[in-house]
Amino acid sequence: MARKLSRRALSAYIAGRLIEGASEKEVATHVAAYLLETRRTNELELIIRDVQLRLAEQGKVTGTVTSAFELADESKKAIEAFVKDKTGATDVVVDTVVDPTVLGGVKITLPGREFDATVARALTTLKTRYKKA
Amino acid sequence: MDFLRTFAAETADANGGLFGALGIDWRLLTLQIVAFLILVWVLGKFVYPWLMKSVDERQANIEAASKAAQKAEEAAAETQEETAKLLAQARKEAAEIVSTAKLEAAELSSTSEKKAKATAEKIVADAHEQLDKDVAAAKRELHNETLELVALATGKVVGKTFEAKADKSLITDALKEAK
Repeated sequence: MARKLSRRALSAYIAGRLIEGASEKEVATHVAAYLLETRRTNELELIIRDVQLRLAEQGKVTGTVTSAFELADESKKAIEAFVKDKTGATDVVVDTVVDPTVLGGVKITLPGREFDATVARALTTLKTRYKKA
Repeated sequence: MDFLRTFAAETADANGGLFGALGIDWRLLTLQIVAFLILVWVLGKFVYPWLMKSVDERQANIEAASKAAQKAEEAAAETQEETAKLLAQARKEAAEIVSTAKLEAAELSSTSEKKAKATAEKIVADAHEQLDKDVAAAKRELHNETLELVALATGKVVGKTFEAKADKSLITDALKEAK
């Protein structure tokens, strides 16, 4: 049975491999096998978050962009530029998610921070901020 | 007494003269005088002093009783006068008590009236305050419900009418504003 690594050590290893240029698929396979063997699959979400934070520290930011419609290339580029500007990252990778419930605008989820400029958020703010207790 | 009659009968014949003519026997008379004097002496010596003393004592008792009666009468009069005074004072005090009681009753009534008035005013003030609170709560609820409705309606309208082109513009503006 494999030696049990701490989550911090494991995330540092994964981030290091990815920065070195290892194949994402290969790294993912190794990590999945390790987690299955050590019965730590329930830590997957936390490990991914730690890896994202470590990559961000190294200038490689991965995030999720949620919008009501499919994003145009121009919008994607603008979002990447925005993320680089805000995080100081050199490399930005964003996954796009289409969610009609946000109604409009965009929500950018980055490691450790979130930028929400959706219409749904604006309406929620309207309801909560101006609500009288 | 028999011996006196015998003595008188015996001496009646012997003594003639004036006394005999008048039917008076001087020896009997002398004897009666002596007996009388003896009787007077005995009475004056033994009976009268005792009788006088008894009379004096009785008189003294009567005088004392009379004085006592007079004193009692005076005392009774005095007592009656004092009683009258006390009665008058008692009437006066009773009148004062009644007057005070009336005043106190009036004062109490006034105080009760004031209390009742104050209580009524407090009830009215509380009712006003509660009404104000209810109105404010209703306004607040209306405001919140309006917000909810506005947000809901806006969401519905935006969801149906918003287009990709407008969304692109919105995203661009939002990013610019965030920078």
